[in-house]
Amino acid sequence: MNFKMDVRTMETDLPIIELEGEVDVYTAPQLKQQIIGILESGAKELVVDLTKVDYLDSTALGVLIGGLKRMREVDGNMVLICPSPRIRRVFEITGLDKIFDIYNSEEEAREVIGKETV
Amino acid sequence: MPNNENPAVVELRIPCKPEYVGVARLAILGVASRMKFSYDEVEDVRLAVGEACTTSVEWAERNGKADSDILLRSEIDTEKLTVDVIDEAGGRSETNAGGDGDQEPENLGALLITLLVDDVKVEAKEQGTTVRMVKYAGQR
Repeated sequence: MNFKMDVRTMETDLPIIELEGEVDVYTAPQLKQQIIGILESGAKELVVDLTKVDYLDSTALGVLIGGLKRMREVDGNMVLICPSPRIRRVFEITGLDKIFDIYNSEEEAREVIGKETV
Repeated sequence: MPNNENPAVVELRIPCKPEYVGVARLAILGVASRMKFSYDEVEDVRLAVGEACTTSVEWAERNGKADSDILLRSEIDTEKLTVDVIDEAGGRSETNAGGDGDQEPENLGALLITLLVDDVKVEAKEQGTTVRMVKYAGQR
């Protein structure tokens, strides 16, 4: 299965999950575990980078919504990087583009999420 | 070339398990690519079929039917593609609906299918469900 996940920290100490390939019913549980792990480590902000994702289904959307909900419960936030029109369309047609903060690049996300920090 | 009287039929049987949903998506990508669909329309069909199979897999897990199969049946017509996703994953009643706290991905899946294809018909029975999706070529 074509799926890869990497976690690193941006220079602002912000964790970023980089996904690659297909995020679906088979691979989304790995993403869920990763998000839970980051939450449990006490992080209040998280970036999920979907730049290299070429397929994303409702299971992945569910995991991302769950992550966002939990982050917001602790007054944090989770933002997405999604420059691909095809993947962004999935958020748009489901109306989820209004719930998530979606950026085109890491630079863009970093600028905004840094300023939002309380 | 298929025509309205004699549509070409492509069938694929896969295990009703998460790791095989990608196989169904690949197959339907090949089928849809043979038709007069735009690039976006092919993607729509791939996502819709993926969602239908995913829902089957989720119900199979809930109903203890993970050993069952999904039959993917595509009918290639000149103007439309009809895809049936037929499972034997047991009934889909509210009482055995589970969920692990995530945001009802199944409802999102159903919503996506409705938005991505032109017609959807769901026939739910005790032993399993058939989802029929129709996509017309050249609709936008």
